[in-house]
Amino acid sequence: MDIFSNIALGLNTALSFTNLLYCFLGVFLGTLVGVIPGIGVLSAISMLFPITFYLEPTTALIMLAGIWYGTSYGGNTASILLNIPGTPANAVTCLDGYPMARQGRGGVALLMTTVASFVGGSIGILLLMLFGPVIARYALSFGSAEYFALMVMGLVAASTISDGSALKGLAMVVLGILFGCVGADIYTGTPRFNFGTLELTDQISLIALAMGIFGVSEVIASVRNVHVGDIDPESVRFKAMKPSKDDVKRSIFPMLRGSSIGSFFGTLPGTGPSVAAFMAYAMEKRVAKDPRRFGKGAIEGIMAPESANNSADQTSFIPTLSLGIPGSPTMALMLGALMIHGIAPGPSLVNDQPALFWGLIMSFWIGNLLLVVLNVPLIGVWVRLLMIPYHLLFPAVLMFICIGTYSVNMSSFEVWLVVFFGFLGYLMRILDWPSAPLLLGFVLGPLMEEHFRRALLLSRGDFMTFIDRPISATVMGITVLLLAWGAWSALKERKRISGLLHEEAADDLTEGR
Amino acid sequence: MLSRDYRDIFGGLLMVAFGVWVAWYSAAHYDLGTFRRMAPGMFPMMLGIILAGFGLAIAIPAFFRTGPKPYIRIWTPLFVLLGVGAFAILVRPFGLIPAILGVTIISSLAELKFRPVSLAILCAVLCLIAWLTFRVGLGLPMPMFRWPY
Repeated sequence: MDIFSNIALGLNTALSFTNLLYCFLGVFLGTLVGVIPGIGVLSAISMLFPITFYLEPTTALIMLAGIWYGTSYGGNTASILLNIPGTPANAVTCLDGYPMARQGRGGVALLMTTVASFVGGSIGILLLMLFGPVIARYALSFGSAEYFALMVMGLVAASTISDGSALKGLAMVVLGILFGCVGADIYTGTPRFNFGTLELTDQISLIALAMGIFGVSEVIASVRNVHVGDIDPESVRFKAMKPSKDDVKRSIFPMLRGSSIGSFFGTLPGTGPSVAAFMAYAMEKRVAKDPRRFGKGAIEGIMAPESANNSADQTSFIPTLSLGIPGSPTMALMLGALMIHGIAPGPSLVNDQPALFWGLIMSFWIGNLLLVVLNVPLIGVWVRLLMIPYHLLFPAVLMFICIGTYSVNMSSFEVWLVVFFGFLGYLMRILDWPSAPLLLGFVLGPLMEEHFRRALLLSRGDFMTFIDRPISATVMGITVLLLAWGAWSALKERKRISGLLHEEAADDLTEGR
Repeated sequence: MLSRDYRDIFGGLLMVAFGVWVAWYSAAHYDLGTFRRMAPGMFPMMLGIILAGFGLAIAIPAFFRTGPKPYIRIWTPLFVLLGVGAFAILVRPFGLIPAILGVTIISSLAELKFRPVSLAILCAVLCLIAWLTFRVGLGLPMPMFRWPY
């Protein structure tokens, strides 16, 4: 059997000492970052990104991926105990997790969400193992027109489905692609938009851009806004974690439903774990016999979203690894790590780099097991971390951002770029421009330009090439539908909002940002 | 509450200005080529025009609706960005430790409170962490101290 030899190969890679060590390091840091509100997964990954230059590509990816799915495990701790989501994907867990903690069942909630995370993660990995290689084999026949169409669809989906105005999302994608244009032209080598500087002849550094827009602007927005709450240490003792029979019985189906919803939304570009968790919660509320229990500490309300966000974490690797098209900014950074090591992402990855592909997948199993160990007996340690005041934390974050950026090329110019993108990121927050589409556009931009120009070269300048080819035409059709849907829901939203605006403005004032 | 959505008007017009500038810059400085054989300027020029279009689509409707009053902080972002800038200035001539002190001290002012004792401890701890992770752990060739004169 082919799959067994692949699994053996993967295990062989993942179980090497270095890879085990970095897998542990990744999930450990992921939990840490997830627990602490005010540091998102993206700023964590971009902060640690420079370290990966010194590692083998497989090891680098294993560590970055560990941070990614580790945050989903850690993120529910703050949601349940403090009513502050550790990461956006854990936001819905607050709705029923915090009431559970108030009822003295915080320990049960923490244990059960770890179980839910593990089940969701496992189902996600199984699907990744089954479908990743199949999709990759199919995608090998894609030409430039198909790739361009797929990337356009991914970007359109990412900007229209995620929250906020679709128009602004699309504009940010374009802005991101423009930032990607800086540097030498791929076909002629002409330096573009370098304004006579040597530093910009190369590309804008992905790390500087991500650290500025996500890391620095997140610090700016969180300073003086994140407060430490009170936690009852009794509720997280080991003894207080034992779930009742009723809890277990109520949890099984929400976990399975959550995992399937999560797996589906994980593969779609633009949705990812946050949307998956919201969908899973909405679904549970709809199928529940007594929906009124929700919001008051219903265990279904934490099991479904927590399994959904973890399965989405894993299945989001399907398009990333088998097509080379990232659905979220985090996945874009993963591809960035591959490209820096000279590995071209795409369908040939599965065949050309079997040790990387299967080793990474097998490391997910190990990482998920490690996370269960890290989260159940050690929960008391993480809870103590929640008590570190943010005014001590944010200078440390900034220090890591600075050193991380500087250490890549020993270039202080790139630290200045962080200042620029930090300012841009804060401006974008004020203007309510979404930042995730910008990063996606930035990473995909150069690839898009390459495929766009090549497709038109092959078709002798005929734009019909994107519609003549069946796969490309289907994908373009879906893109048009997405745009239409985005426009329609924007219109509907505007009607609703014009009624609500007054209320919202009042909320903004009381929020005390 | 503002009588017009000035946030989107400003943002949209900013996009228009940037898009038009990009389109003009790429048309003026680089070859455009033809659709069949595109030269370096074509793709950015098209993007600039599209961005300007989106900007108009965001700005125009905003003239006809009321908008939320944006909450803008000045000192917090300023200190955070100045801190990062201080790192950029200090790290090359003076080495890592002075640069870390620069970013920590300046950015901690972003809290708009000055706590000398906890700041001193924080500086010491961060320098130690940086030395341990980046010099001892990862072995990066970064000098801790340096004197350029």
